Amino acid sequence: MAARPMIGQHSPNRAALRFTRRFAAVLLGVGLASAPLALAAPLAIAADTPNNLKIAMTGDIDSLNPFTAITASASKVLALQYQNLVAFGPEDNTPVPGMADKWETSPDGKVWTFNLPEGRKWSDGEPITANDAAWTFNAIKANDALKTANGTLLESVAGVVAKDPQTLVITLTAAQAPNPGTQLPILPEHIWSKVSDPATFANDKDSVGSGPFTVGSYDKSAGVTMKANPNYWQGKAKVDGVIWVPYKTGDAAVQALKTGEVDIVSRLTPAQYEALKGEAGITTNAGMGTRYVGLGINPGTKTQSGELMGDTNPALQDLNVRKAIVMAVDNKTLLEKVLQGLGQPGTGEVPAAYPDYALPAQGLGLSFDPAAANKLLDENGYAKGPDGIRLDKTGKPLQLRLLGRSTDATAQQMADYIKPWLKDIGIELTVSMKANLQVNDDLGAANYDLAFTGWGMAPDPDYQLSINQCSALPTQSDGTGGVSENGLCLPEFDALYKQQHVELDQQKRSALVQQAQKLIYDAAVNNVIYYPNMLEAYRSDRFGGFVTQPAQNGVISEQNGPWGIYSATPVDSAGATAGFNWAWLVIPAVVVVLALAGFFWFRSRRSSVDDRA
Amino acid sequence: MALPLGSEASTLGAEAEVRHQGASWPQYLGRKAGGAAISLAMVVLLGFFAFRMLPGDPVRSLSTGRQVSAEQLELLRRQYGLDQPLPAQFWRYLTDLLQGDLGLSYTFNRPVGSLILERLGPTLLLTGSAAVISLLLGLWLGQRAAWRRGSAFDRGQTGLALVFWSVPTFWVGLLLLLIFGGGLRWFPTGGMVTAGSDDTGFGYLFDVARHLVLPLVTMVAVVYAQYLMVMRASLIEEMSSDYLTTARAKGLREAEVRRKHAVPNALLPTVTLVFLTLGGLIGGAVTVETVFSWPGLGYLTFTALSTPDLPLLQGTFVVFSGIVILMNFCAELAYRVLDPRLRTG
Repeated sequence: MAARPMIGQHSPNRAALRFTRRFAAVLLGVGLASAPLALAAPLAIAADTPNNLKIAMTGDIDSLNPFTAITASASKVLALQYQNLVAFGPEDNTPVPGMADKWETSPDGKVWTFNLPEGRKWSDGEPITANDAAWTFNAIKANDALKTANGTLLESVAGVVAKDPQTLVITLTAAQAPNPGTQLPILPEHIWSKVSDPATFANDKDSVGSGPFTVGSYDKSAGVTMKANPNYWQGKAKVDGVIWVPYKTGDAAVQALKTGEVDIVSRLTPAQYEALKGEAGITTNAGMGTRYVGLGINPGTKTQSGELMGDTNPALQDLNVRKAIVMAVDNKTLLEKVLQGLGQPGTGEVPAAYPDYALPAQGLGLSFDPAAANKLLDENGYAKGPDGIRLDKTGKPLQLRLLGRSTDATAQQMADYIKPWLKDIGIELTVSMKANLQVNDDLGAANYDLAFTGWGMAPDPDYQLSINQCSALPTQSDGTGGVSENGLCLPEFDALYKQQHVELDQQKRSALVQQAQKLIYDAAVNNVIYYPNMLEAYRSDRFGGFVTQPAQNGVISEQNGPWGIYSATPVDSAGATAGFNWAWLVIPAVVVVLALAGFFWFRSRRSSVDDRA
Repeated sequence: MALPLGSEASTLGAEAEVRHQGASWPQYLGRKAGGAAISLAMVVLLGFFAFRMLPGDPVRSLSTGRQVSAEQLELLRRQYGLDQPLPAQFWRYLTDLLQGDLGLSYTFNRPVGSLILERLGPTLLLTGSAAVISLLLGLWLGQRAAWRRGSAFDRGQTGLALVFWSVPTFWVGLLLLLIFGGGLRWFPTGGMVTAGSDDTGFGYLFDVARHLVLPLVTMVAVVYAQYLMVMRASLIEEMSSDYLTTARAKGLREAEVRRKHAVPNALLPTVTLVFLTLGGLIGGAVTVETVFSWPGLGYLTFTALSTPDLPLLQGTFVVFSGIVILMNFCAELAYRVLDPRLRTG
């Protein structure tokens, strides 16, 4: 109070009174103004058509042009709009009829013939023919600008011809077992051939497709609105449409699920998933994921010409050191503690969700066993120094770095467990969490010792195996010219890869794929820790009947195919009230606010006059 | 006390300006415009080279997790012009820029100019209304607080403003989202319009207003403190001036002394700060836009950084910097208009 200046002293009470009065007026005004907003919010939800399934979309849409769109969000939208020749079935992720109802392979595995059944139509009523498929393949082959999204898929394709409207023939440069019709979305020729530049065509308004839903409109703030396609060959969807609602953070999407602004949210964190579990009207689902999380161990990556890359600790070139590291890490504890059990224990790179190719857990040999790890290092001449840290062959302490992404919350948690485990076997670990881009650079140039890795896997393992061949190693020492996953180069692996690539017998191919994974496992370059579940939640008070993929413990929204979203069934139509008229709430509110404002203005005028008198 | 750096600097600038007093408007304009142009040229240069020092290979990060071959990566590198030597890339950037072409975004495969333009509106709506409200609120509270320095009102308001200013924007936003979005359900949890709605006219405006409330409150809460503090500090300075005693001696009421004499003079240093912060506000919207899924420029920049989408980054950098430079230029002009001492010799 002593600091109060003389100036204001003679009327503090009146001023304070006036302030209080005005402040109360402002508060009242704001309160009244927000009351209709508050009332309107729940009503707004009821006023929506209940038959639109609203899906929270937390990623970006780069484009809805299937030639150039590469983000996961865009791919999920387009997967509802376009079919491939062959789909991955909801039951167990194996190839099932898509746009083609049957197909056959020539005995040498080079010529694939697809039959497109008569009578199927695009969403605009035009017939679907083999010409559409041929046009799509050939457009990409002929134009580099159209290769952005799917160019890689066509590198093995020599030619594509529509023999007649029902028959499509794909000739490959070499025999292969993976079905060439599974991944490329087929576009309607009658629309796209008339577009002047297919590479820049936005394709975001009243699109024509063959899948269960087609894009009606897209706006970066209002999201993507899709309509059910009446001509979808499996029948029109039970919902009228799908709306992809954009959210920039998962937390906001979770709140939106609670308020009913969206009906389904996927990619939840374990914490979000647990928090949603008890909510009324919401059902959670922890489906088997198609992604592995692993601990990569750099074996001393070389370029194709045999030049050693990066700054890896040379001790890791010793297979026994790598094996000891794998045996020192307790994957089960990581699954229980870090993932709260929401996943399956890891074996090979193919996740348990693809049982045809997943590596069985029996007889793997490098399971958690610190005593055996210590023994292995002892036997191979890595003696412990006085501080308990082992010395490498040159007499230096065995110190390794562990690289992780700072954006990945689980990475730091796992590192906290792994550090003392490695200490138990006499290896000192320095953990560094870096920004995504820096991690990408470090991995590419092989500037790491240990690093957390992970891959989302397609149902067919061919690509994943292919990037472990010697030919996938970089051509340059900065990492360019290559796509190698683990820096591995084993002639016997390459041989197995080639064998499975052409093996048309499913059982034989499965065995070969498992053997190939076992080679990666035995090389101890990638300790696959677990396959996290895909955590999702939906408004079960509004929708149900979701088909999961796979059928047992499967996922709804992150499938290889449209099945989950397509199968959405409205629970009831109780919420289908008539359209709500905003004016009934807003106009009276505005009148009240204006009247109050006028009243207080008048009051304050009068008090000024009083002051003056 | 807590005068933000910018305003002190420009007060100094204004003093230096006194030396040029009496310069004619065209001369003054020319000098200021020249300065702005030089700054802009520096920005253009910096924009190109600074982002090339970022870690991360755009081609590699765009293909992360996708089934790509080495050939495909080479093709993309060629398409983006990344296989060219740096001087060639720079030359292309310059010549394109001179023709008003900001290049093609790697991520969106679309012209950077149109990407920025379509997000400028939402950002201006959010930051513009936040600026107006926080300015009015800050200045009003600031002069009130100064007039009764040391009172409970002063200490309460100053303290509250500083608390809001110190807490992380992200945290305030998320808290508001949890309480008023998910909890009370008064306001939507994100976006600018209700997804899938095809409202037009009044319904559309109302929908946008409803979505605007929470991000706006968040932004105002974290920025109004600086206006409050500057206004308070400069008014306290004026309060010891003789002309106030004169005004009082004339028999003016206390409120009139404040409103008609003290505040107009105290506003002067505040004006510069206002223009400076207006420029910065747009860049500062990144977190708010992210929390509330607002489809604006801030979030676009964030997306561009994570690739790094070099043309998009360069574009947003030039646009952001351009706005700041323009605002500084406006501040110089406004100062001259407001302060007669700079005009008459």
